[in-house]
Amino acid sequence: MADTRPKSVIGTPTPLIDGVEKVRGSAKYTADLMPREALVGRILRSPYSHAELIAVDIDKALALPGVVAIVTGKDSPIPYGIIPIAQNEHPMAQDRLRYRGEPVAAVAAIDAATAEAALDLIELRVRELPACYDAMHSRAPDAAQLHENKPGNLEREVHNSFGDIDAGFKAADLVAEDVFHCAEVTHAHMEPHAALAEYDPERDTLLFHSVTQVPYYVHLMLAQCLDLDKSRIRVIKPFVGGGFGARTETLNFELICAILARKAGGTVRMVLSREETFLTHRGRPAADIKLKLGLTKAGKITAVKAEMTQIGGAYGGYGIVTILYAGALLNALYDIPAVQYDGYRVYTNTPPCGAMRGHGTVDMRHAFDTMLNRLARQLGLDPIAVRRANLIDAPGETPNGLKITSYGLPQNLDWVEAASNWKTRKGNMPKGHGLGIGCSHFVSGAAKPVQWTGQPDAVVNLKLDFDAGITILTGAADIGQGSSTIVAQVVAEVMGLDFSRLRVISNDSAITPRDMGSYSSRVTYMVGNATLQAAQKLKARLIAAAAKALETTPDNIECLGETYRVADSQDRGLPFEKVVQEALKDHGAITERGTFTVPKAFQGGKHRGGAVGSTMGFSYAAQVVEVSVDLETGGITVEKVWVSHDCGFAINPLAVEGQVQGAIWMGMGQAMMEETRFHEGLPLHANFLDYSFPTTLDSPDIAVHIVNSIDPNGPFGAKEASEGGLAGFLPALAEAVAEATGCAINDMPLSPDRVFAAIEKKRKADKKRAAKKVPV
Amino acid sequence: MSAPLEFTLLHPANLTEAVKQMQAHPNARLLAGGTDLVPNLRRGIGAPDTVIALGGIDTLNSITETASHVEIGAGVTLAGLLASNLPTRFPALQAAAEIASPSIRQAATIGGNLCLDTRCRFYNQSQWWRKANQFCLKLDGDTCHVAPKGKRCHATFSGDLAPALLVLGAEIRVENAQGGRWQPLAQLYNEDGLDHLTLAKGDLLVAVRFPTSETRRSGYLKSRVRRAGDFPLAGVAVALTRTGDKITDLRVAATGTNSAPLLFDDFADVIGQPLSDAALTQINKRIGQAIKPMRTTNQPGLYRRQMVAALSKRLISTLYEQGAN
Repeated sequence: MADTRPKSVIGTPTPLIDGVEKVRGSAKYTADLMPREALVGRILRSPYSHAELIAVDIDKALALPGVVAIVTGKDSPIPYGIIPIAQNEHPMAQDRLRYRGEPVAAVAAIDAATAEAALDLIELRVRELPACYDAMHSRAPDAAQLHENKPGNLEREVHNSFGDIDAGFKAADLVAEDVFHCAEVTHAHMEPHAALAEYDPERDTLLFHSVTQVPYYVHLMLAQCLDLDKSRIRVIKPFVGGGFGARTETLNFELICAILARKAGGTVRMVLSREETFLTHRGRPAADIKLKLGLTKAGKITAVKAEMTQIGGAYGGYGIVTILYAGALLNALYDIPAVQYDGYRVYTNTPPCGAMRGHGTVDMRHAFDTMLNRLARQLGLDPIAVRRANLIDAPGETPNGLKITSYGLPQNLDWVEAASNWKTRKGNMPKGHGLGIGCSHFVSGAAKPVQWTGQPDAVVNLKLDFDAGITILTGAADIGQGSSTIVAQVVAEVMGLDFSRLRVISNDSAITPRDMGSYSSRVTYMVGNATLQAAQKLKARLIAAAAKALETTPDNIECLGETYRVADSQDRGLPFEKVVQEALKDHGAITERGTFTVPKAFQGGKHRGGAVGSTMGFSYAAQVVEVSVDLETGGITVEKVWVSHDCGFAINPLAVEGQVQGAIWMGMGQAMMEETRFHEGLPLHANFLDYSFPTTLDSPDIAVHIVNSIDPNGPFGAKEASEGGLAGFLPALAEAVAEATGCAINDMPLSPDRVFAAIEKKRKADKKRAAKKVPV
Repeated sequence: MSAPLEFTLLHPANLTEAVKQMQAHPNARLLAGGTDLVPNLRRGIGAPDTVIALGGIDTLNSITETASHVEIGAGVTLAGLLASNLPTRFPALQAAAEIASPSIRQAATIGGNLCLDTRCRFYNQSQWWRKANQFCLKLDGDTCHVAPKGKRCHATFSGDLAPALLVLGAEIRVENAQGGRWQPLAQLYNEDGLDHLTLAKGDLLVAVRFPTSETRRSGYLKSRVRRAGDFPLAGVAVALTRTGDKITDLRVAATGTNSAPLLFDDFADVIGQPLSDAALTQINKRIGQAIKPMRTTNQPGLYRRQMVAALSKRLISTLYEQGAN
């Protein structure tokens, strides 16, 4: 059937369809939901880093007028966690406190003042234990153990080796080894955590609203921890103000809010403070990296050996996945014949880490690309040329079993090289100025879900009824990234309709099909493909109905969106509404279902943990960062960033540009200033003043170029767009600062005090050297 | 989220009423822009029964100029100061543009910035946090976590305007039930993080003034991690007069290093000399002996010390290079 519509919906910059409510201020976020009967929920948090919890005395608090219910660890005996095999966290502490800020009890009261007064009346009896705050202390032989079943405070060790490492290093003309440290960072999403739990004691049902990226996983954990049948729970995700990975697993306050509502026999609203949002954490762990890299004179990488220790905090969370990601995605960016990876995920008495934009890959990418830049310099080679010497021959497969289907890195390099005028400027920058390059990549959805169900990875339903409007029902969580717009665009494109006939309903477990949620950049790829299939099926159905009405065969029907007609005829055709009427005859409302499942072949290598890092399509990014450095203060100004991102195909170029800029900006925050700090386990950074991230004034012009490599399996060729650009910023900045200052700094962030200290150190060393050279 | 704050809010219509109310409620807190007070109260830092809001006192909100003095009401907002021609004429006052962010500058006042509470990473935390840390010398505790063996509070003064006004030779107007007085701005401060203001109970800072004839070249530079929002890690204001090749007058003031802003105007060995590296070293030596940045911020004290030297050197050189006055 011919498609002769005048213009495409896909590939056209499209404002987000839910932008109007946000701009108007009418969008309802979880904290905006305030049922009159809602009780105020407040959490009592551990003031201890590590202690045996002997007793929680709630009698006095319970006696306080206005207190309706109090829950403790006794009300939450069932553990939870995102990884089924690693659930070692309870909504509220059981017999051990493992970090300052860990929930111990919670109060539901008629107002905030009463709830807070009640918290003060709860008494804890504890026996304090020695605490560990860093990997060195945590791994010491005599260190206090956080979890009985995890000796040495090691959550997971990974030892993987692919290719012939020894032969690789032997073949190298230059081998270097170095140590890097990246500070722990956190998401700093704008909307603090909030949840609303409405428990109906007569029916024993729970209606639950939360700020989550993964309503389905929240649903599962609510059922598990409340020991409540899944069918008695309904989870709705309202507007969400950012996630970046903080909300890709069920969080303790969500479970506590629901447990509290059930105990109170009613509705509990819980809005966390910014400090509590920081304490809930789940950010990117601090990482110690030891890296060895071998290159030939021509710049070809012969082997890499990497060791990473992640300081994961008090509980498992996503930890196993994070430590595996760091090793797995050493591969699939450049062609590397031999890769050895040793990973250690360590427990400490600090808030638990989790997934964060660029999950697991960012710190390792910083170390790798920084070292690649330095070795290029040592070999007298251009860093871009070195990357060109290591391009992957795509399509192909990496030594650890990752499939590469489309590969836009060469085009990315070409663009950033030309746009930044790299060839004439790199190496010739005036004193205090520098240019640097970094590359990075990321998955378009994890090929294997963390919880196996046998169900498709994505399901989308399209409902068409008497009103001739199409309702798109999806469980994909729009958290501001624009996924609802993408599904609308896909349907509009296939059907040839504009948005006026479409509405998107997302994230109501009673209405929308199950979706795993917004993480690992899976939504455009997986949900987009499911939507594409559903729309194609619906269109076929309407074509069949039109054919019947026009007394022809479906292959003779031409769909013009608002009109269906017999192809190559003077026929005026049937308007859309008439076609719908025909389709509904004898049938009634139509629901077409589209699904998408990642084939097994894409689920990674056979080795243990081999599924982590596997995907149907990798996105690729390259970026050049230009800086000036104030050599007297160590202050860095990022003058400009040129970034090229291969997202396969930009279904919504406006959103892609925004997402790429967001990723760069977040990488910039981590590279320049972001850093959590603790005083004996107490966060010194738990507010937006002390946890510095860049302001508008710190933000450079970010020129974004989109490479459409047209992935063979993505919807219209689309791949990931939101995470891949982040990691490359760190090494690009480090390289630019190295050119500007002559200092090689291995630690992140490059805060002014660190840069200044490095400049001072070099100044003194230069002075010493110069003094030696002076003939006596 | 903390529970709503509870206190009696008074709205005096004029200075006389305000002073009376302060006398009647000696423990009341004063509220101007609220950008420092309210976040602290929300963290349980202070729990006054009474708060006296000064916003309704029109006489605090004006900038006036006579042949002898420029006078800025304590209630003038930072945005209001920046909208006037004063920062152009007296460039050190551009310090106001370096404070916080545009929205905060709409509310924050000159008086509030001069009376800014001292800050410390062990103090500007929630009630839960401070309790878990056994509180501190500045509030509810008896140990200073910055210098546990010491006996004093090291919380740092972080106002940006004080050094600028100090180098301009500012005086402040203080009113109380007994009347009013002008006094040098420098006398507003004590080197004690716990009690850094010399104002007595019942004293109200109503205005700041400096000579209209002020002709020294002046400026302010601030060290911080990011370009908006941050308090100074260190801030330096300079006013100097150059006559021919020679420095004939020099004042330097620093903030963010001690519990009080410090004014340095005794550079006898430099006055009458041209600016040289040796002179700059001399100046910084003098300042370096007095400043004492402690671990009250998340950035190291050493860096803040180094920045005072770097910024004062840069600012003095820049102003000197601008030529003779």
